[in-house]
Amino acid sequence: MTDDPTFPIVLSLRLAAISLVLVAPVGVALAFVQARRRYPLRGLVDALILLPLVLPPSVVGFVLVVLFGRHGPLGSVLESLFGVRLVFTQAAAVLASCVVAMPLLVKTAQPAIEAVPRELENVGRSLGLSPLGVFFRVTLPCAWRGVAAALVLAFARAVGEFGATLMFAGNIPGRTNTMPLEIFAAYQAGDDARALVYVVVLSVLSGVVVLVAARLSPKDLTA
Amino acid sequence: MSAPEPALEARLSIEVGPSANRFVVEAELSLASGVLVLFGPSGAGKSLTLGALAGLVHPTRGLIRVSGESLYDSERKIDVKTHKRKLGYVPQHHSLFPFLDVTGNVAFGLPRSERNKNPMVPQLLEDLGLTHLASSKPASLSGGERQRVALARALAVRPRLLLLDEPFASIDQEGRVALRKTLREVLNRYKTPAVLVTHDPEEALALGDTLVRFERGRTTTSGTPASLLGRGQPVMVTGKARSVVESLGEGRGAIVLEDARVEGPSELLSPGEDGHVTIELRTWPRGRRRDEGAR
Repeated sequence: MTDDPTFPIVLSLRLAAISLVLVAPVGVALAFVQARRRYPLRGLVDALILLPLVLPPSVVGFVLVVLFGRHGPLGSVLESLFGVRLVFTQAAAVLASCVVAMPLLVKTAQPAIEAVPRELENVGRSLGLSPLGVFFRVTLPCAWRGVAAALVLAFARAVGEFGATLMFAGNIPGRTNTMPLEIFAAYQAGDDARALVYVVVLSVLSGVVVLVAARLSPKDLTA
Repeated sequence: MSAPEPALEARLSIEVGPSANRFVVEAELSLASGVLVLFGPSGAGKSLTLGALAGLVHPTRGLIRVSGESLYDSERKIDVKTHKRKLGYVPQHHSLFPFLDVTGNVAFGLPRSERNKNPMVPQLLEDLGLTHLASSKPASLSGGERQRVALARALAVRPRLLLLDEPFASIDQEGRVALRKTLREVLNRYKTPAVLVTHDPEEALALGDTLVRFERGRTTTSGTPASLLGRGQPVMVTGKARSVVESLGEGRGAIVLEDARVEGPSELLSPGEDGHVTIELRTWPRGRRRDEGAR
């Protein structure tokens, strides 16, 4: 099982997809709130959203281990209430991917939402749409290109996550050895050919992501 | 038999901006039926008042009653949300949903089950001369066509009151005249009272039944547009000639004046957002009294 070269590819894509499903609603909602609402701690929330983007991945991984480890404040609660241990599991890899993908998602989607003219949302409200209705029937259809680009970039970031995953989920063959971890392990073992396979896969994936994100550049909304 | 409720009664105090630079609007509006024009220069508080009527701006106190129903009453703590006010709203810019075609835009406010079969949609398209554009996307429409679609969309939900925020501001003069005529016709046909924000006296005269004048955040006078807009008052332009009369052909000419001075009704003299003043003066056929025609 551990020698199956496709395992890290499938695992990486699966975990990134799960991360995206989890992070998308939260990230898009956060982007909307940051774009449209003015509240006292908005600047602080903005900083917290950005933090995982600027912190070294090892620091993010360390914080996750401290918080969700067996004796951590959240990890102990999870274990006592649900009998769940996160550290060194695929769930930990998903959580690490979510944390690093979130800032990219929010900060790419936010300007797309900000670019939607407020008048259009006001017209939607006057035509009987609730705030949630305005979001789904006006804001999102107008901003979908930017939001889709944000999701693509977040997916790519989740696939490529390395540092925090290594510290929080470990590099356990057949369980948590995603492509970036596999490249590191193969390189350390002197198996450059095996490392190159994943380097190529990740490079192609990144190239596709860049092309797709560029094609999703926002269109004029000033109709 | 009791008298019908007035289309609109409102007394509003609105405060916006930081405390150091606060802008206060005190507005008192009343409309029995027809079209109420909120008239005045830019920055006088007209659009803010319209926003408060729509529920998009929160007043500090006051009341809004539409057809007898309270939409806002600070004393009785009533504040009906925008989406439950049943008012139509047509903004100046960015009025159409760019991801929908004309039909989709017009049917937007209808319940999902009615969008494809409500007879109001084709009827409004026909009334507003949009039938041939039913499948067009907003990006391919002219400014006048876009505002016609916005108007049809607002009327499709049968609003109790239509709110129009300078809807003709970005349309050329020829288009404006045509659109005014259409607006007047559809408002009469659908018996929809309206509140129109404008700083254009011609528009106020053409569309308004009642006019409220705004100056520096306050409503100062109200009455018929003709009585309030100084119809018949002369406009006098004086200055020292800096050129000979240049012939423009067809009997028209132009002259450059130095230290030019214009006297006339003050609303005609208010500079636009670009700081320029443009006044259209018209000559009248010989024998017609000057005070019949000049505006």
